[in-house]
Amino acid sequence: MQKHFCITWVLCCIFPCLLKAANPFYPVKDIPAALKENAHAVIRLDETNLTIRSLSDVRYVRHYIVTIMNEGGAKEAGLYLHYDQFTSIRSVDGTLYDVDGNKVKSLKNSEIKDISAVDDGSLMTDARMKMHNFYYNVYPYTVEYKVEISVATTAFLPTWSPQSDYECSLQEAKLSVDAPADFNLRYKGAQCQETPVITKEKNRTVYTWQISNQPAVKKEAFSGRISQVLPTVFLGPANFKISGYEGSMSDWNSFGTFFYKLNENRDVLPDNTKAVVHKLVDGLSTDKEKINTLYRYLQKNYRYISLQFGIGGWQTFDAASVAAKGYGDCKALSNYMMALLKEAGIKSNCVIIKAGEGEHRIREDFPSSQFNHVILCVPGAKDTTWLECTSQTLPPGYLSSFTDNRLGLLVDEKNSKLVRTPVYDMNSNRQIRNIEATIDDKGDAVVNAVTLYTGIQQDDLHSRIHSLGNDKQLEHLRKYLDFSSYDVTKFNYSEIPGDIPSIREDLSIKATSYAAVTGKRIFITPNMMTKSLSRFYKAEARKTPVYIDFSYVDTDTVHISVPAGYKPEALPPKVNLDTRFGRYSSQCTFEGNRLTFIRKRECYQGEYPPAAYPELADYYNAITQADKAKVVLVKE
Amino acid sequence: MKFGKVSKEEFGMNKFRNDTGAHAIVLTEIGSSSFDSEGDWFKLVYKVHRRILIVDKNGYDEANMVITLYRGGEQEEKLLNLKASTYNLENGQVVETKMDGKSVFSEKIDKEYVNKRFTMPAVKEGSIIEYSYTVHSPFYQRLRPWNFQGEYPRLWSEYQVAIPEYFDYVQIQQGFESFAVKKSEIVRQTFSFVDRGASAGASSSTFTATPTVGKFTWASQDVPAIHPEKFITTTRNYVNRIEFQLSGITLPNTPRSSKQSTWGELMKNLMEDKDMGKYLTEPNYFLESMVNSLVSNTSSNEEKARKIYDWVRDNITKVGDDQIWTSQSLKTTFNSKKGNITDINILLGAMLIKAGLNAEAIVLSTRDHGYVFQHYPIYSRFNYTIIGLTLDDRYVTLDASDPLMGFGRLPIDCYNGGARKVNAFGDQLMLSADSIFEQRTTSVSILGMENGKMKGMRSRKSGYFESLALREKIKEEGKDKYLESLNKANNGLEINNLEFDGLDSLDKQLIESCNFEYAVDNPDIIYFTPMMDEAYKKNPFIAMERKFPVEMPYVSDEVFTLNWAIPQGYEVDELPKSARATLNGNDGYFEYILQQSDGYIQFRFRLQLKKANFLPEEYATLREFFDLVVKKQAEQIVLKKKK
Repeated sequence: MQKHFCITWVLCCIFPCLLKAANPFYPVKDIPAALKENAHAVIRLDETNLTIRSLSDVRYVRHYIVTIMNEGGAKEAGLYLHYDQFTSIRSVDGTLYDVDGNKVKSLKNSEIKDISAVDDGSLMTDARMKMHNFYYNVYPYTVEYKVEISVATTAFLPTWSPQSDYECSLQEAKLSVDAPADFNLRYKGAQCQETPVITKEKNRTVYTWQISNQPAVKKEAFSGRISQVLPTVFLGPANFKISGYEGSMSDWNSFGTFFYKLNENRDVLPDNTKAVVHKLVDGLSTDKEKINTLYRYLQKNYRYISLQFGIGGWQTFDAASVAAKGYGDCKALSNYMMALLKEAGIKSNCVIIKAGEGEHRIREDFPSSQFNHVILCVPGAKDTTWLECTSQTLPPGYLSSFTDNRLGLLVDEKNSKLVRTPVYDMNSNRQIRNIEATIDDKGDAVVNAVTLYTGIQQDDLHSRIHSLGNDKQLEHLRKYLDFSSYDVTKFNYSEIPGDIPSIREDLSIKATSYAAVTGKRIFITPNMMTKSLSRFYKAEARKTPVYIDFSYVDTDTVHISVPAGYKPEALPPKVNLDTRFGRYSSQCTFEGNRLTFIRKRECYQGEYPPAAYPELADYYNAITQADKAKVVLVKE
Repeated sequence: MKFGKVSKEEFGMNKFRNDTGAHAIVLTEIGSSSFDSEGDWFKLVYKVHRRILIVDKNGYDEANMVITLYRGGEQEEKLLNLKASTYNLENGQVVETKMDGKSVFSEKIDKEYVNKRFTMPAVKEGSIIEYSYTVHSPFYQRLRPWNFQGEYPRLWSEYQVAIPEYFDYVQIQQGFESFAVKKSEIVRQTFSFVDRGASAGASSSTFTATPTVGKFTWASQDVPAIHPEKFITTTRNYVNRIEFQLSGITLPNTPRSSKQSTWGELMKNLMEDKDMGKYLTEPNYFLESMVNSLVSNTSSNEEKARKIYDWVRDNITKVGDDQIWTSQSLKTTFNSKKGNITDINILLGAMLIKAGLNAEAIVLSTRDHGYVFQHYPIYSRFNYTIIGLTLDDRYVTLDASDPLMGFGRLPIDCYNGGARKVNAFGDQLMLSADSIFEQRTTSVSILGMENGKMKGMRSRKSGYFESLALREKIKEEGKDKYLESLNKANNGLEINNLEFDGLDSLDKQLIESCNFEYAVDNPDIIYFTPMMDEAYKKNPFIAMERKFPVEMPYVSDEVFTLNWAIPQGYEVDELPKSARATLNGNDGYFEYILQQSDGYIQFRFRLQLKKANFLPEEYATLREFFDLVVKKQAEQIVLKKKK
């Protein structure tokens, strides 16, 4: 559906340093036992030095040594350096060592691959990438890289996270930033020392962080983003300069003002577009009608394409070029929509945001470029309207889980600030299902299911019905329903408009051998379509907090008619679970050849301490258990 | 079709037969390849003119174009005369928006390929897009193929090819759809050349030639879209397509310079090619000390071969795309310890030969790359190199590119019909899916019950390819995680004491054994599915209908046995009925046999598929056969507490 644009600069940078004279070099036997536990790779050393020479000249030198313990760590062995017109790679050195620390070989410049970083969503960018890999496969082994990079702006100071991944331990790491004494460096350490050691010399100030002996961290279910778990130092400038534009990140307002200035006066519409706007909205009385009409016009006539060169990551194409070409990226389409609204007399603001399902958190206490997307906010006297301008299908005002419930930077001439996008609560995200089914004496079932999906629970379905033709939708249904052998004989979707969108689904299914018939008994799972299948393991003590991304509620009512002459031998027990994570109830009754199964599950969005995990696992496992319970009927 | 002349009627062609899912429809596409003079010789001229109706938003990808150009040595292909427009119907009028020439971007892929990318302006639902361009190519072997079929339906797809008598090409056609037009004629055509003289300062002269030219036209009408199905090698085998391979060039008054013709010649050329077989005939002195150290203290040829195979497999890493050409010198592969599939296996071959063994290269096309036409010897059909080795009285095939592959085994993707030995005869080697026998045997015994939990042991010998996948998994995530994933499977089994036999014996099947516990819900009455987690949860043949043949990777045989001591104090209340079935006579066999004797329940299940490929007509029976399997597997044994 929507796509990202890239305004984050990826740090993968570095430094030539003196080789240790000692031989052997970082042999594997020197790794402390505690760092080998759960580790596919061990970062032996990471020394990163940043020298800020001026607002438009930053040098990064990084020297790192990593031991790859087994195939699972192989992804840590490669070197990936992104670059573009701001970034040039000055030198790259690399050496490969075997398990005992004997040198196997050195990197040759001819082995470095230089590729375009164009992805499928981008028509073109000037982003490129250099890659190197020794592709060694005799484990364990050690690689050493030294890289030097220069960047022509202070706008993209890197985030330092030397323990690069889960299941990767860290022996020793050091970050130093050498800046002019009058350069106002902003920083924030997380999961490590919060403030650096500061030394001053003549006109320079040097900031130093050190981390050592960090054991590997396992990825856990329901855990947050990696930067919330592993040691990370965030860096940012107060003032920066990029392509001749100067700005400040010292607070959100000044950062927003920078964006405002950068994109000022790019909202001039050609006359014929202005005429179109007036033709569309002049007869309408309310702002809401105008916004909806213009949004529908945008969706119908303009499409999303990613295009970015140089400062294009931050600066939009102007409205006139979007009008001429009929396409734009998220900035350009949001800016264009803003211009359309302005022509209709409605003020709106671009909001820079970090898009992605589950990407709910930014560091609000650390103003910096943490975003990858732009949406539009139309403030209203009573209610604010939010518009996702890269989508051709979303209803006006609905953002979906792509950008819901998170802080974004509202860009304004005078008053830029962080604002929160709408939170879709439990009652917005519903799945209400009613099933009427009949099972014959061979165990074959005819199932009619009517389901209403709303809010975030309809997001996937929304994309599916808008991206697949009827035949592909049917193919999807024939593949992914949880019946052993079945056919979908009829299906229909109807969208119900509203501020929170809903979709009604009607399905007719023939499920062969849905019930197992063994002589005189029939085995039936009365929960036909809404089963939780996952089972959670709690063997080890939980280390990271538990996150549940959004709230929702599912209700199921199932009626199953069975052949005459049977009586229940076993019915699933009635289940009632009430926890801080949610509530669950199910019950099954049998009366007059008819089974009735009623299930309700509520799930609560939230963040819970690590110690809550066993309780969560028990709760979820109990749901899984209850969902698969069977009815046994026996011939009278 | 004239550029820019789009009629209103064309906007109404947004329905294609019963295909309601088409996001775009190719209204007309016309391509041509011909020869024209350039300087003192010919160039290839490829032209495309295409008009596409964008039905809905999901068809917008068609508006983003990529044209790939090739560069080799001093010469390169050139893109010319690119024109692109979008047409929209506005107030009953066709409105054209032209693409700005600046909207074409160049993207260098590598030393040899450049992509030209562009996107169409003003595209909306219901737009028609049109573009045309010309590519000039000095590379005669790049006479471009033409697909008459693709992701979207095509109303008219036409390709014209004109070839002067000096050039011989082999033409290869495939596909399920028929041509509406298929014609050829011979004409004479005059070409003018300029000879600039052999040296600088020499005067140039012009000359002409009037060869006969073979002109061919193929066109298809109303071609449906092609969609992939499950259990298929690749839709490339079924798409309507025509392709060309240069087989020879005959200059006036000179003998024909053959590019190839027979399998023998083709493979002999490959054998002598400096980027392929030639490495196997060179002295390769640099390999000597390594080979000597590997084969010292070996007593048989097989032992020598195994030592060398293991070394190459364990030390050389596969990188890059599959192709039958080496990407670098043999010495570089040996020293850098990485290379593409051909680099690796040619190194293996060279080392085997260095050790005095009788090895040769074999080229093949992997399943996802499509079939090889046995009547048309062309290189482009191949993408993979392996090694054939004669060991005393047997012939083994080797592939050292997968770190977990056993000696004498090949990846499943290699079994795609006729491979060719790279020798002077170009012998065919059949690698068919029907020749691989994937056999899995599981035996379970349940001997006791304590505190409401049944306790048992399970031993399973996986088929070879399943073993390979399992080894891969364990190598990547470790045994503990694998055990964890078994215990997360939500099937009521708690597994412990997991052991593997043969984890490091890479050419053998892997045996996995464990103890398990199974909690009984209600101690008064036990319901038990005898195959536990080995039952099919779903019929693997999901789709109701089938257009293409079913192509499975192997023939298979699964056997499951259970021996269950009826717990003290219980008696059998009900046993599922035994059953046997066959599929289409002898294509498949299924048995499900349960019996009770001396306080034990004995169960045996067997499922055999005796052939790998089924015709579309056989699909319905195949699906029903599996319905029966799934149904029987879901049945339950019922034990009751004695009163």
